[in-house]
Amino acid sequence: MSTATTPRTTHAHATGSGVSFGHVLRSEWIKLRSLRSTAWCFAVIVVILVGFAALGAALSSAFSSTDATPEQQQSIAVTIITFGSPFAQLVAAVLGALVITGEYGTGMIRSTFAAVPRRTSALVAKVVLVGSTTFVVSLLSLAAGLLVATPLLSGQGIDVDLSDGRLWQSVVGAAATVAFTAMIAFGLGAIIRNGAGGIAAAIGVVFVLPIIFSIAQGLVAKAWIYTLYEFTPPQAGTRLYDYPVDGASMISMPALDGAVVLEPWQALLVLVGWVVVLFGIALALAKRRDV
Amino acid sequence: MIEARSLTKRYGSKVALDDVSFTVRPGVVTGFLGPNGAGKSTTMRMIVGLDRPTSGSVTVNGRPYAEHRAPLREVGVLLDAKAVHSGRSAADHLLAMAATHGIGKARVREVIALTGLESVAKKRVGGFSLGMGQRLGIAAALLGDPATVIFDEPVNGLDPEGVVWVRTLARHLASEGRTVFLSSHLMSEMAQTADHLIVLGRGRVLADAPVSTVIAQASGDGVRVRSPHLAQLSELLRARTEVVATTTDDGALDLRGVTAAQVGEAAAAQGIVLHELTPLVRSLEEAYMTLTQDSVEYHAGGTPAPDASATTSGAKR
Repeated sequence: MSTATTPRTTHAHATGSGVSFGHVLRSEWIKLRSLRSTAWCFAVIVVILVGFAALGAALSSAFSSTDATPEQQQSIAVTIITFGSPFAQLVAAVLGALVITGEYGTGMIRSTFAAVPRRTSALVAKVVLVGSTTFVVSLLSLAAGLLVATPLLSGQGIDVDLSDGRLWQSVVGAAATVAFTAMIAFGLGAIIRNGAGGIAAAIGVVFVLPIIFSIAQGLVAKAWIYTLYEFTPPQAGTRLYDYPVDGASMISMPALDGAVVLEPWQALLVLVGWVVVLFGIALALAKRRDV
Repeated sequence: MIEARSLTKRYGSKVALDDVSFTVRPGVVTGFLGPNGAGKSTTMRMIVGLDRPTSGSVTVNGRPYAEHRAPLREVGVLLDAKAVHSGRSAADHLLAMAATHGIGKARVREVIALTGLESVAKKRVGGFSLGMGQRLGIAAALLGDPATVIFDEPVNGLDPEGVVWVRTLARHLASEGRTVFLSSHLMSEMAQTADHLIVLGRGRVLADAPVSTVIAQASGDGVRVRSPHLAQLSELLRARTEVVATTTDDGALDLRGVTAAQVGEAAAAQGIVLHELTPLVRSLEEAYMTLTQDSVEYHAGGTPAPDASATTSGAKR
């Protein structure tokens, strides 16, 4: 490096109109795609979703029965292609938390907030991008999984009807669940700010919370416990992509009498609610905190 | 132009900044000097809205930083610690920063060239030396061609060539009419770079004046005396309460708070023979130590205080 000469600080190109949401979104997009952790997390999500679908379809003889109705066959197909969903959610939780805690951990957040001192647009851009990219990656993976699984399933007597709107609703719902998980984890990460803490909290919500409720429900079979369980993000997500036949789900454990069972649209609202509440808290804190 | 008004920051009961007011003017290099922990970084973070003052306010070019439509075009800031994601390449970091303001790739290439980072621009920042990290921080600070630049400890970790480069850059930026505000805990560095000094100690402004004035203020008067009748001379001078005397290793007497003329006259009046009477010029470092000695937060435990603190001049405040 030999720059001990008189520096030239000229600025022929330093135009630029100022901070706008579009600019911030572009900046955050550059940031998201320039980290290896992003590529790794997405690669793992693809492998999990496609791999589990293929594996499930190849081993699906357990499901097949000659007397399955066409509707039941569709339900089996949905169950199989969403096999990987809980694991994809786990990776999405890590990604969502990392996107924000990585900035706090490295000090990058100071550069981010110095460039966007109002802070809100930077955080909104991040959560929008982490949610939308996770959704797109998951949707493409699930669609690929469906295409891989379809011929394997048909070899075992399960004929998947790809023209079925409900089937695609489940595919989109499953992709949305993974994306919501990433956004919930982002909110937790932005509140906690510490990488290990953020990831632990996100995994707690995605994995541990439902386990606690299902154990509690096993010990004391109370409808209200089941109802709480129904409102946890992974369970609400399950309702979003479930393909029940005559009210019976293949994916979810049976609800107790008197417990709330969410309709897909209600499940969507519950997941939106998780994101809005956590992100709202994160935003309020980020506006006040020193960095 | 940076204007700080009564900035105060408390962390619980601990006061990090106590009613700090100053103005940093364009066209000159203003040094922000103080021992570690004096509150320099906190003040700089407040200027760009990263930390909130408990009370008081600070404006840049007439407005709070956050109210500028294009803050990076107003202020370029190099923060103390590396404020860069270690997993991202230098070029991507700069592109992302530039994108927030719609600044194009051409300017990113310009600042990379300006800071001599061409060969490492595609490398991940995690592998950078401290010096390269500083260069990247300076590159980011210059992206928006800002009217004001704030560099927190810019020469930290730089090799001598890099130090000269930062010094030249700072002077050049000031000569273009920009406001240049640099912090350092090294007096010698500031003396070579800055025109004006704001000295901070334990969260208070100790001095705010041109460099030469600060040095003169902190130096005080000093005289070295040798005499076969030192004891008698000491006795004589002890009557003057403002005089502080220290005996040197080789038997001379160093006096503070009195001029050579006064010592000579007093000695002559009593008929005391003098073998040496030398006005002492203190080094910059000594002057700085004098200025900040009561405000150093973390003294090295157990080690004797350096020379300058053996005398207690009243130059502070």
